[in-house]
Amino acid sequence: MRLAEAPRPPKARRVWLGLASVVALVAAYTLLSNAYRVVDPSLLPDPIRGVLRPQILPPTQRIFDAFVQLVGAGTLPPAGTYVHTGDHIGGLVEQRVTLQGSLLVSTYRVLIGLAVGGSLGILAGLLMGWSRAVDEYVHPIYILFRSVPPLALITYVMLWLGHGTAHVLLPIIYAVFTVVVIPTYHGVRDVADVYVKAARALGAGGGLLLSRVVLPAASPFVLAGLRYALIIAWMTTVGVEMLMADDGIGYLLVGGGMWSSRLEVAGDPAVIVVGIVALALVGYAMDAGVRVAGDRLTQWVKR
Amino acid sequence: MNGLWRRRLWRALLSVGALAVLYGIASEIGSALLPRRIWMVMHYLEDVELLPPYRSLLEEAVFLIQSGILPRSVLVSTARVFEGLVFGAAVGVPLGLSMARAARLECLLDPWVTFFRFTPALALLPLYALWFGFGELSKILLIATAVAVVTLLGAYQGARDVPRVYLEAARSLGASKGLILRKIVWPAALPQIFASLRIALGLAWVTVVVAELIKATMPSLGYLLALAGAYPRVPTIAVGIVTIGLLVLACDTVALGLYAVATRWMKRSPARA
Repeated sequence: MRLAEAPRPPKARRVWLGLASVVALVAAYTLLSNAYRVVDPSLLPDPIRGVLRPQILPPTQRIFDAFVQLVGAGTLPPAGTYVHTGDHIGGLVEQRVTLQGSLLVSTYRVLIGLAVGGSLGILAGLLMGWSRAVDEYVHPIYILFRSVPPLALITYVMLWLGHGTAHVLLPIIYAVFTVVVIPTYHGVRDVADVYVKAARALGAGGGLLLSRVVLPAASPFVLAGLRYALIIAWMTTVGVEMLMADDGIGYLLVGGGMWSSRLEVAGDPAVIVVGIVALALVGYAMDAGVRVAGDRLTQWVKR
Repeated sequence: MNGLWRRRLWRALLSVGALAVLYGIASEIGSALLPRRIWMVMHYLEDVELLPPYRSLLEEAVFLIQSGILPRSVLVSTARVFEGLVFGAAVGVPLGLSMARAARLECLLDPWVTFFRFTPALALLPLYALWFGFGELSKILLIATAVAVVTLLGAYQGARDVPRVYLEAARSLGASKGLILRKIVWPAALPQIFASLRIALGLAWVTVVVAELIKATMPSLGYLLALAGAYPRVPTIAVGIVTIGLLVLACDTVALGLYAVATRWMKRSPARA
């Protein structure tokens, strides 16, 4: 496979160029976002005047400040002194919403979604891939359910479950479930099929067939599905938290408020940037974790 | 082959029909047994139909269609999805193809692509609302961002998977860069691009629903859901959810059909696999 691909530059050069591009862009942004100190923005022509404000493009050092404030938000304000600040970061600090705490809550939600939705999805995919009758009866229903975006359900789910833990988790579980089914299904039906025939001919059956043939053959596909599900789970978690929840990184991004009027408070771009960068890093780390664990689990696959 | 398909269709109709009948029975029993007054966090919600029976769903659907609310919402939301899809693909596909062909560009862009890949597009919503206002632009750009990331990766992967032999053969026969792109890279990457477009379409619908839930204006499916949820009017919610589901299903079917047409040349034998 490797021979067939186009040549790639050596690893060291890739890393160096990538690093250079990040440093260059951050430096350029720092200069641009601090330009308002040097030039009076009100003298500039219209579109630039609107953009070159710290309320729109927060200077890099302010983003860093917001990061420090959010990380320390749990300890900073001594109990008793209650200063009401109307802005985004002030409100968060007041509620003692910390960056790490929010990330932890969201990560927990993502993991629950993956654990519950993932195992249900794998189970459904296995059954559908294994038995043609199940496939023919269940697949149409699955397609109908898959078509509904999980976040469209939250208003309805809230009526059934009330506003609480289950209400927040259900859309995430649902999203992961619908994503994991198809790769598992294809892994079992298309890939394992040849091996299953061979194993059957050699006299294997039942549990042996499942544990020694079907699951190993399908596992690379299941893992690929789980990696995509991770991205979808984060997306859904952030969406639910922005709309409904009272904590988590999505709540941090919109700075609270009643769910119907969220985002009416003018957001602080520095907080939002901190939240987004944190999300990207955690998402990357979790994906790397699944990738490494997956490579270990499926060492026998030719790469 | 024909008999197989007929059995599939028959079983599909049977299971979906059974589900529909089950819901009908459950909703008839449910509308008598389930509470119509629900305690919700701070106050009671009055007159809630948790499982609306078919007649109230039908009544609601007829009202929403006749008043023009539903058709207009569908048009507005679908237009947003497709505008976002076109903008996003217009950025993502060329960028992905050029990243696969130009090694230096790839190295430079790689950290940023990774960054956006693991940033849930919805997290950008507050930032976009701040930068581009609560109007049309921020919604479409949000969808475009989600689409661009997915199509970029698809186009990149598709163009990278082109066997080197093809490229070297073309080059040794004197083909120019433009010709190689048009005649080899593009057709070879097309299946991957279409596959990524299909995923992007699903993501675009997820994104639009949330983008419209927050501070939207009336004719839009997301806001219809939000309003119905605030009252709450379950038949309206149900009609909204079903409409979105059918739209997603229709989009996906069309995308699959286009994919089949675009990759017809790949099939070596007339028999279906």
